[in-house]
Amino acid sequence: MAKDGLFLHLQRLSTEDGPGIRTTVFLKGCFLNCAWCHNPESISNKVQVQHIETTCIHCGTCLSACPQGCLLADENGTIQINRTECDGCGQCVEACPTGAMELLGQSISVSALTDILLKDRSYYETSGGGVTFSGGEPALQADFCATVMSNLMEAGIHTALDTCGLASGQQLLSLLSFTRLVLFDLKLMDPQLHQRYTGVSNTAILNNLLLVRDTITRQPNTRLWIRTPLIPQATDSRKNLISIGDFLAKNLPGIIDRWELCAFNNLCRDKYRRLDLDWNYADTPLFTQTELDQRLAWAMESSFPSEKIILSGASRVNNVIGGE
Amino acid sequence: METAVSAFGIKQTKNLSPRIQWLRDYYFLGVKRKWNNEYTAWTTGTPWDFQYEEGSFHIVPETYSFLRTFRSSFKQTALPVKLDSDFWNWSLPERRAWFVKEVMVNYLPQEMLPGDLIAGARFNIMTSACLDEKQTRDYLNRIEGKNGVRAALLWFHDHGYGNAGPTSGHLIPDYARVLAVGWLGIHQDLQEKYTALTPDEKQGNKGAQLRAMLTASLLPKELAKKYRTLCLTLAEDESDPVRSEELKVMAENLAIVPWLPPQNFWQAVQSLWLTHMLVMADENYPGPGVSFGRIDQYLYPFWKTSIQAGMDPEFGKEVLKCFWIHANTAYDGMIRTGGNQGITAGFGQLFTLSGLGANGVDQTNELTYIFLDVIDEMSPILEPKPNVRLHRGSPDKLLDRVVQMVAESQGAPFLLNFDERSMAGLLLQAKKAGVEHLIHKDNVFDYAPVGCLENTMVGNDRSGTVDANLNLLKAVELTLTGGYDLIPFTDEMTGKTEKPKRWGADTGDATRFTSWEQFWQAYLTQTRHIINRIVNLYEKGEEVRASFSPTPYLSCLVGGCAEKGLDVTQGGAELSFVTIEAVTYATTVDSLLAVKYLVFDEKICTMSELIQALRQNWVGFEVLQARAKNKAPKYGRDDDAADLMAKQVMEFWTEETWKYKTLSTHRQFRPGMLSWNYWVADSFILPASPDGRTKGKFLSNALCPSNGADINGPTANVNSVGKVLGGKASNGNGDWEAYLNLLPNGGSHTMSFSPSLVRDPEHQQKFKGFLRGYVENGGTALQINMINADILRDAQKHPENYRHLLVRVTGYNAYFTSIGKELQDEIIARESHRM
Repeated sequence: MAKDGLFLHLQRLSTEDGPGIRTTVFLKGCFLNCAWCHNPESISNKVQVQHIETTCIHCGTCLSACPQGCLLADENGTIQINRTECDGCGQCVEACPTGAMELLGQSISVSALTDILLKDRSYYETSGGGVTFSGGEPALQADFCATVMSNLMEAGIHTALDTCGLASGQQLLSLLSFTRLVLFDLKLMDPQLHQRYTGVSNTAILNNLLLVRDTITRQPNTRLWIRTPLIPQATDSRKNLISIGDFLAKNLPGIIDRWELCAFNNLCRDKYRRLDLDWNYADTPLFTQTELDQRLAWAMESSFPSEKIILSGASRVNNVIGGE
Repeated sequence: METAVSAFGIKQTKNLSPRIQWLRDYYFLGVKRKWNNEYTAWTTGTPWDFQYEEGSFHIVPETYSFLRTFRSSFKQTALPVKLDSDFWNWSLPERRAWFVKEVMVNYLPQEMLPGDLIAGARFNIMTSACLDEKQTRDYLNRIEGKNGVRAALLWFHDHGYGNAGPTSGHLIPDYARVLAVGWLGIHQDLQEKYTALTPDEKQGNKGAQLRAMLTASLLPKELAKKYRTLCLTLAEDESDPVRSEELKVMAENLAIVPWLPPQNFWQAVQSLWLTHMLVMADENYPGPGVSFGRIDQYLYPFWKTSIQAGMDPEFGKEVLKCFWIHANTAYDGMIRTGGNQGITAGFGQLFTLSGLGANGVDQTNELTYIFLDVIDEMSPILEPKPNVRLHRGSPDKLLDRVVQMVAESQGAPFLLNFDERSMAGLLLQAKKAGVEHLIHKDNVFDYAPVGCLENTMVGNDRSGTVDANLNLLKAVELTLTGGYDLIPFTDEMTGKTEKPKRWGADTGDATRFTSWEQFWQAYLTQTRHIINRIVNLYEKGEEVRASFSPTPYLSCLVGGCAEKGLDVTQGGAELSFVTIEAVTYATTVDSLLAVKYLVFDEKICTMSELIQALRQNWVGFEVLQARAKNKAPKYGRDDDAADLMAKQVMEFWTEETWKYKTLSTHRQFRPGMLSWNYWVADSFILPASPDGRTKGKFLSNALCPSNGADINGPTANVNSVGKVLGGKASNGNGDWEAYLNLLPNGGSHTMSFSPSLVRDPEHQQKFKGFLRGYVENGGTALQINMINADILRDAQKHPENYRHLLVRVTGYNAYFTSIGKELQDEIIARESHRM
């Protein structure tokens, strides 16, 4: 039996990570460090603690609960976490009466996770859904994920793997044999830009995409969706979108069901704040619908089949009372 | 993924002809209308006479301080009716039958709005109680006396137990029979039954009841004759030849129906409307859950006939739309005195579409879709209230249409009912009540909900579905105190505080309990106590109604009454139940979970600290309160341990309920969960609870998890709900297939979703999957709010822009702007399940 996994969050009735109604397992830890990351709390493979000010009643219980003494209340009574000292032991989280101290990352056994995932079996079956492993990067916990996925497959449940594409070939292969749908992220075709925005070059990622292609050619029940985040001034150029489309059309002809352009989303601002991190995109607005349509049109200029390109996510809303 | 909603608009009507547009616009002119269906009151002319019988309002605590005023104002405005010379020699039911008929036929004007295709306008009447002087004294004493119903009721309500009272409506009359045999058939049947009585029986109550019903059964015929004359007169004066021809056909229709069976669709709808509006007249109470049942089934043969004979389907819809307008005039009763021109919460003239039939065959037909079109084109409008029955075999086409309509409106424009779970409950009821010859596998599929969502059988069933509303949480309070009120009751008028008295059972000093098991056993004892109390309170009102308030016209439409010679108010219905609707379920469960967690499992506080915290409404105990709220387990998260406790609570109170019958009318008590709005109002009466709730914060609603407790999302919420109803039998042998359901009445389950959930066809398909999943795992009924909080906040600030914004609250829909600020806040606070 594989050792326990480290996950962030389970989202039930998830409708954005593959077909039908799904439960998405957000795993902790990622190989990439994308500048625009929407789930910054998923990047580190260590347990982290965060403080949610709006839920805090300033009772001070957490201050005395911390064995390292790394919590402080500032002059406004707001809790500050000394992140260099904090080892994520979770005692403050345990002690906090309101849930304002939150643990990012929880251990879970294969069987415990499998049990939870099976609870929504009826909805998977009635909607053509299943379970999606996302993150973070599931391949970082390949043994754990592969074991859970194989349990699910045995139970007849559809499985999807949402991957950033960076992993050892072996890790990827171990997951692919239990995967019915691969959601593969392709962000930037230019290796330098990729290096600049994600911290790594895309060479291994592109190689892995070809590995996925070869595997699913032998494993025809497994489908492939490509996802490209549309990030202002980074991935949303005409050049990038056309190069991605052309690459896919040339190297993976006929085996991609859908290429999804996912609109930039700034709703994760608070996540960065809680982790005491700055975020370059904090003030970047959402795309307007016109801008999104433009990007879709660029992608469609590529040789990738237009009917398989779709746009998802939010656009800027004007004139909405109290809108984002 | 969070998705901003790019555009929203309030649902608008569509495809309305000038005729219907005019009628609809005219209706919404409200108090400015020249014509309305306002109450008129009528008297025998005796000095002791009165009209308003308050029993039906005993379940509406908001009216308690006005009960006397209502009675005296109707009395003051009542116009005299010239009585038959034998009137005072007749029995009470005969007097009532004659009086209602006399008013409807000879006193109330018959009128018709321009273009209307259905006759039958005014029906809101307050008729004399028809009591003689001695009966009146007796009645008033039993209502208002020291040991009367009202005093007992006020005590019960003030002490946080809930409320109870025998209420009108809330049943499905046998309309299908009227369409099959006409009122003539009913009249002949009564005649035969009366003739078959022995001379002694004729002299007695049975004879009197059947004579009263015979009189009542002539009312539809006599009224139709009046309306026929009206149509002919209007036709003569009409300059538009098309309209004149219409009026002549209407006159022909009225020459046939409702006395004879209809020959076509138009006549069938005409017959149905006159028959239905007279139920509301007979009960002096407009539309309180007088429901239509499976309308797309019993009207379908007439639809087919008319279509084959060349009727344009659009004309058929036009007839239905007129029927819609008529149903809404029920609200005119208090049009000048009520808020929002009398349009408040839905009265619940519920009709049912689709659903299973014999041999597991789905019954969706062409008329089902016609009804859905009419709903879509007429909404937003409150009445009549649609309910769509879903089951495993519901066709995709139906679900696609349902989801599309959900996507296009702010709340689902209908309730959804779930057959398998519902039927399992009704079959359990058959076993528990020993009526398996009346409810069984070969007829249970003909069930239909009444009022909001309460499941009953059709045409022979009165289940008193709103009559007894019990706060389960009171038992937790009494457990903590060993039978005392946690905070002694203070009368707001006098400022006097009651001396502490052990009202509940003596279950001992909770601070000395050393184990959870002791607390649990004490809770069970107190639950027995509160159920016993509500049964006794109900009996008082039931007995008064059975003695003084017969409804002979309605009794003609309820199977069993003619056979037994008993009025429906006396337990005449073949299926005679009273439903205890448990309120505060999740708050109760969460409170028990919190006591176990805080005091026994984690030992975070002692019992006396907890009791002290509750007495102080958590003031000074904020950290403990936060733990109770945020750290103790809760129902509604698909947490098997918490849901097991919830199921034990459910099993115990339902089992206890089955132990009782009314003494005066032999009606079996049965369990259900409909909270109407009590979970809001009673939150100001019940003290702070161990789940972390402060006094004045809302209690939980019906079967729903506590507000904000369902942190694992909608599927977890649904799974919890299904589990506590009984889930599915592990060996596959449930009461219907594998399904089990401890609540034959069903339970209200409301969920709010963000509109982004159904934003495009792909997501609409996912939502369809969710509904099919609900069939498998969920409860008996679901109401969907498809709304985002921003719209609601703006509607609160600018009600003038949102007059027609409909939201669903516990089974009745309401115009958002017409409901109280607290309830508005509650709806906004309810976590929208964003996708």
